[in-house]
Amino acid sequence: MDAIEVQDLRKAFGDIQAVNGVSFNVSQGEIFSLLGPNGAGKTTTISMLCCLLRPDAGDALVMGHSIRKDPNGVKALLGVVPQDIALYEDLTARENLTFWGKMYGLRGAALKARVNEVLEVIGLSERANDRVSKFSGGMKRRVNIAVALLHKPKVIYMDEPTVGIDPQSRRNILDNVVELKNQGMTVLYTTHYMEEAQELSDHIAIMDHGEMIACGKHAELVRIVGQMDRITLTISILAADSDRERLLQAWSRVEGVQQVTAQEDGMIVLLADDSHRVLPPIFEAASTNGVRITGVDIQEPNLESVFLHLTGRALRD
Amino acid sequence: MLKAIDIALKDMTRSMRSLIAVAFMFGIPLLVTGMFYLMFGSASNQGGFNLPRIKLVVANLDKDAPRLQAGAKNIPGGIKAHSMSDLVVKVLQSDEMADLLEVSLAPDAASARAAVDRQQAQVAVVIPVDFSRQFADPYGQAVIEFYQDPTLILGPGIVKSILNQFMDGLSGVKIAVDVAMDQLEAQDYALVGQVVQLFMDTSVTQRQDLAATLLDERLPDKPQKSTGSLASILGPIMGGMMIFYAFYTGTASAESILREEEEGTLPRLFTTPTPQSTILSGKFLAVFLTVLVQIIVLLIAGRLVFRVDWGDLVSVAWVVVGIVFSASSFGIFVNSMLKNTKQGGVVFGGVLTFTGMIGMIRIFTMNAPGASGLVNTVSLLVPQGWAIWGILQTMNGVAGTQVLLNTLVMLAWSAAFFIVGVWRFNRRYT
Repeated sequence: MDAIEVQDLRKAFGDIQAVNGVSFNVSQGEIFSLLGPNGAGKTTTISMLCCLLRPDAGDALVMGHSIRKDPNGVKALLGVVPQDIALYEDLTARENLTFWGKMYGLRGAALKARVNEVLEVIGLSERANDRVSKFSGGMKRRVNIAVALLHKPKVIYMDEPTVGIDPQSRRNILDNVVELKNQGMTVLYTTHYMEEAQELSDHIAIMDHGEMIACGKHAELVRIVGQMDRITLTISILAADSDRERLLQAWSRVEGVQQVTAQEDGMIVLLADDSHRVLPPIFEAASTNGVRITGVDIQEPNLESVFLHLTGRALRD
Repeated sequence: MLKAIDIALKDMTRSMRSLIAVAFMFGIPLLVTGMFYLMFGSASNQGGFNLPRIKLVVANLDKDAPRLQAGAKNIPGGIKAHSMSDLVVKVLQSDEMADLLEVSLAPDAASARAAVDRQQAQVAVVIPVDFSRQFADPYGQAVIEFYQDPTLILGPGIVKSILNQFMDGLSGVKIAVDVAMDQLEAQDYALVGQVVQLFMDTSVTQRQDLAATLLDERLPDKPQKSTGSLASILGPIMGGMMIFYAFYTGTASAESILREEEEGTLPRLFTTPTPQSTILSGKFLAVFLTVLVQIIVLLIAGRLVFRVDWGDLVSVAWVVVGIVFSASSFGIFVNSMLKNTKQGGVVFGGVLTFTGMIGMIRIFTMNAPGASGLVNTVSLLVPQGWAIWGILQTMNGVAGTQVLLNTLVMLAWSAAFFIVGVWRFNRRYT
């Protein structure tokens, strides 16, 4: 049984279709990332999966429990790390964890022990009795995650948990996510950081404008744009079309260059096996034809280029 | 149910950790009442009521007055006086009047008036040469000259009132004597003295407290309670403040629903395996408990600090139930109408001030009998008005059944507010 089975989820807010027929499956014990720019529909999808929003259409099963028919069953299995820090700043870290533990049904000695355990995991045992308002952004993020771990959930949703924090805390959180997977938890992770999705995920779904535009393992997604490097060249204006044609032919004859395309905006895109090896002869051919290269942009195959390939826009636009 | 209590306790902990919330819950009501306390009295006088002493200069020109026949034991306060004019002076100089009057004697009328002109005294009282004789004469006119600083109202007014009361009493004696003499055809002072003595024996001397004899306070158609003057002033003020800020607390506590929504903790609560009804019940319970704690603390503080007599415990309990429910549900209702806490600041200020002032108008006009009928009706247009009426009734010793009516009306308000508020919040989060 898959941990999460999403079937044709749809949600609209007025005229805006926030999620439009999204379907995917998440296997037990894997990290599955939803990757996409802001406004892609990731948070709306997560909100429906944790029963905060009711879908207009479609359904999802979490460990076999329907988000439509058995929301309380779903909630009992879930740990949710919201995008924004959702803690009581005027309570201490321990008070926060104790309260949230009670909300997940923990009581008495078991609760106390689990709170201490989780404080140990996030490295905040020493600061347990300090109010959260006195914590740094990274420390708050760690407590924010700890709340979702209190009841040892089978599935954990993490909605952009590394937004706006320092690199050290970010590293700490990413290590924790991997640790959760190692403990057997299923992690549904949303991010707009390509590197995070690439590093953490077993499977990645790319979303844009409420739709899932690609889904698969990292290697499978990269294969969509091929294994080649993408070199975009900006050149000085040529006097005649014949000069441009001669230059493109010269570049296409360079060993390792697989494809040369002139774009409407005047830039030339080359697909090459190894950008580092082909660039010197490319510059040489340009010089021979009296052309000056004024700009070079190299993109090795990654999720950014997949997104660019599929949408015509950069992921961070 | 346990989870609802956990949510309520968490909310109350947060409220009590907020200095602003605590200040508005306890500090400001006590502070405002304390300011009135400082205006009208001090802690040292055990609830007494101090006005500045009125400087009074008396010129008694009636030196050769006929001797008064009444014995000291028959004169209110046991005053020893040789003549009627001497009695007036001794009354003004008596211990009972010492808190109100600072009396000095002038040798003649001119110097008494001059003391007022020089603002060394607020009032001059001149007792004419033949005052006692005129008083004793059935056809005579005993007139005391009253000379005051025209720029002053309160002090001279009080002296005038004291003298009027006193002279009215003596006039009654004089009429009785005149009638007796006419009937008995008596001509001598000895008989007049016997009549005066008899009159005082049977009426005035039964009251040993001279101040009480001269300054008789009464409330129309209401049972009188033996509370101190200061406590009777502070009681309604403290009660009004308590109710005004109870409604503030109810609204501010219920705002935590909106605040948690904005902080993201409410949506997070909705992701836990806790039913929405339990979460909202916990939030509402927190509002009720917070207002209840506030009311109980203020009632006790009012009693201990300002010696306010809230009245019969059962009646007070009924009113407290009404106040707690109406203030809490009012808060839930108001917040259910808002989109966010930014709206709250403006709306709370407007709604709470407006309804609170309407409710408290009964207290502002307590001593304005002409305005009370209409004003009291207007104040009942808001729940605060019923709450204030209720607490004033308990302070005046009104029976529990009458107070119960107020509580029932407040509970009706509460039910209406609560139903609408809960319906709107449920709809909002479903």
